[in-house]
Amino acid sequence: MRFSALKIIREGLTGNKGWTPHWRDPEPKSEYDAIVIGGGGHGLSTAYYLAKNHGMTNIAVLEKGYLGGGNVGRNTTIVRANYFLPGNSEFYSHSLKLWEGLEEDLNYNVMHSQRGIINLFHSDGQRDAAARRGNAMINQGDDAILLDREGVRKMLPYLDFDNARFPIYGGLYHPRGGTARHDAVAWGYARGADQRGVDLIQNCEVTGIDIENGKVTGVQTTRGAIRAKKVGMVVAGRSGQVAAMAGMRLPIESHVLQAFVTEGLKPVIDHVVTFGMGHFYISQSDKGGLVFGGDIDFYASYAQRGNLPTAEHVIEAGMTLMPMIGKAKMLRSWGGIMDMSPDGSPIIDRTHIEGLYLNTGWCYGGFKAVPASGWCMAHLMATDTPHEVAARYRLDRFETGRGLLDEEGTGSQHNLH
Amino acid sequence: MTDLLAKSPCDGLLPLTIGSVTVTEIAFDAITSLAPFKGQESAVSDALKVQMGAAFPKPNRTTGKAHARAVWSGVGQALVLGPPLAPIPGAAMTDQTDAWTCVALEGDGARDVLARLTPLDLRPSVFKQGHAARTEIAHMGGVLMRTGENRYGLMVFRSMAATLVHDLEIAMQSVAARGRL
Amino acid sequence: MRINCPHCGPRDRREFTYQGDALALDRPDPEAGPDVWNDYIHNRDNPAGPTRELWYHETGCAAWLVVTRDTVTHDIHAVELASAVKGAGK
Repeated sequence: MRFSALKIIREGLTGNKGWTPHWRDPEPKSEYDAIVIGGGGHGLSTAYYLAKNHGMTNIAVLEKGYLGGGNVGRNTTIVRANYFLPGNSEFYSHSLKLWEGLEEDLNYNVMHSQRGIINLFHSDGQRDAAARRGNAMINQGDDAILLDREGVRKMLPYLDFDNARFPIYGGLYHPRGGTARHDAVAWGYARGADQRGVDLIQNCEVTGIDIENGKVTGVQTTRGAIRAKKVGMVVAGRSGQVAAMAGMRLPIESHVLQAFVTEGLKPVIDHVVTFGMGHFYISQSDKGGLVFGGDIDFYASYAQRGNLPTAEHVIEAGMTLMPMIGKAKMLRSWGGIMDMSPDGSPIIDRTHIEGLYLNTGWCYGGFKAVPASGWCMAHLMATDTPHEVAARYRLDRFETGRGLLDEEGTGSQHNLH
Repeated sequence: MTDLLAKSPCDGLLPLTIGSVTVTEIAFDAITSLAPFKGQESAVSDALKVQMGAAFPKPNRTTGKAHARAVWSGVGQALVLGPPLAPIPGAAMTDQTDAWTCVALEGDGARDVLARLTPLDLRPSVFKQGHAARTEIAHMGGVLMRTGENRYGLMVFRSMAATLVHDLEIAMQSVAARGRL
Repeated sequence: MRINCPHCGPRDRREFTYQGDALALDRPDPEAGPDVWNDYIHNRDNPAGPTRELWYHETGCAAWLVVTRDTVTHDIHAVELASAVKGAGK
């Protein structure tokens, strides 16, 4: 089934009876060429690109719950390529380019909206840092515009510009940044992978990883044993548990990150806006809800819910920046489990076990990475060599201290990012 | 020699009365932190009794009275509010007289005002007269004491004085407004 | 989430700062070698369930605490003074 305007009109006129499920619900086979553990955004895009770019179609995605039921189903949907460090810059630049062609590629409306992101700054030092970051973005081939105070005011007249503690000096504007519909990204990749023959197997929890003579031979699951010579672990916050099945301890701590949404309002916030002095970012969904978030709760958690002090902090930061949001009523909040790495950057790498690959450490920024993460993970699994834009996402960088990707400059240690 | 003007932390900001609650600044002649060395706890407590008639306080308690009070302020440490102390052997002492803002919050509804500013359990049966706590006051680390039925002592760092008064004022206005409903 | 501080009694989460896994109490020997140190600094069990961690009672009594907490339910099972744990040679 292909989506088209014609199809929508025809279905509209004939009672919408011709729509078919987006993907099959296959029984697991006893053997595949490759298995991807995890049916979230990254796992599904890995499977899609394994099939599309590398012609590997005898593969399966194993998901213990339902497809797209984790962080890709609940996040603040920001898509951007505004990184500073070599290693991150080219990766996220590649990801943004994939986003820009994603809807055509998948024949699926992921509601990618390049509404622009404005990172505000509130001091001369922050302005220098923003200019430096903007230049790095331009060097990478992406777009960045340094706005002065009046430039920001023209775009975001509703901000509190003269807050005594955090006056607004300007902002770094990234016009190609924006948002996308989080669920649709997972569904689009799932549908695309399924159409290329990938088996998407839900309610199938991996309970063991079979290893013989240092080589992976398959996995044990709640739906039986499945053999495969290549297995990719793409399980975000659950990386620690899955890697433990292969006897590995990872440089990962799982933390909870909350996000919030208000009830629907008339259009009021046209861009993605981030506060430079407190941890707060906000955009408005197409449905009208203000979608916003802040920092992680800062303690290890698998609870998928946060605590109120963090909610209070986020909302206070929001009120400081744009007092008007005090009128909005919060509808709901939720927490996602983040795979936090010591330096705040991800890992896409082989492991010491032949045929076992690792994709983790996305911290609180995994959504925008979904296309490139899958692209590079697929490349790694298919060719056994890292893709050039993800070559620095090495697992051993913590051990050696070489090539750490500490974007925030706070140090490579847990609980600093 | 230049004669500097001494100003209290809340100079020009207090007193303030809104509704039934009043906040006033308290000036102490001296504020001294007192931290007994290991094994010296009872000797230091005895010495303190001799100097100001109050023992070294147990955790979360105060000893003494209005202008000669010792308040527990953390592990193995108390703040002595009142007269300047002569050196006590066996303890680390630091003059902190100009480091703190001290105010008293008093009146019916004082507890409701505080409840807006601190996560502490303030119920009278839990936070009794003579109790004290190191806790958060409007996001600032501070010291809170219950010094009377409806009277509390609050301390935050001196540089936070205006913030403290601002947050107290907002909370007092909110409590008074709610009372009028 | 409230933590029952041995000094201060039950206090709100916002008074505390999180450090991480309590393995920091078992610092390796300086000469233990890079593998041991890498493991100590970076690698974590990261359990989904009960775990022992270090919390600091920052705006309270300033004590370091060893908190036994369930990362799935946020239940807190035990709170000890880190000084006592360390002093007991554990």
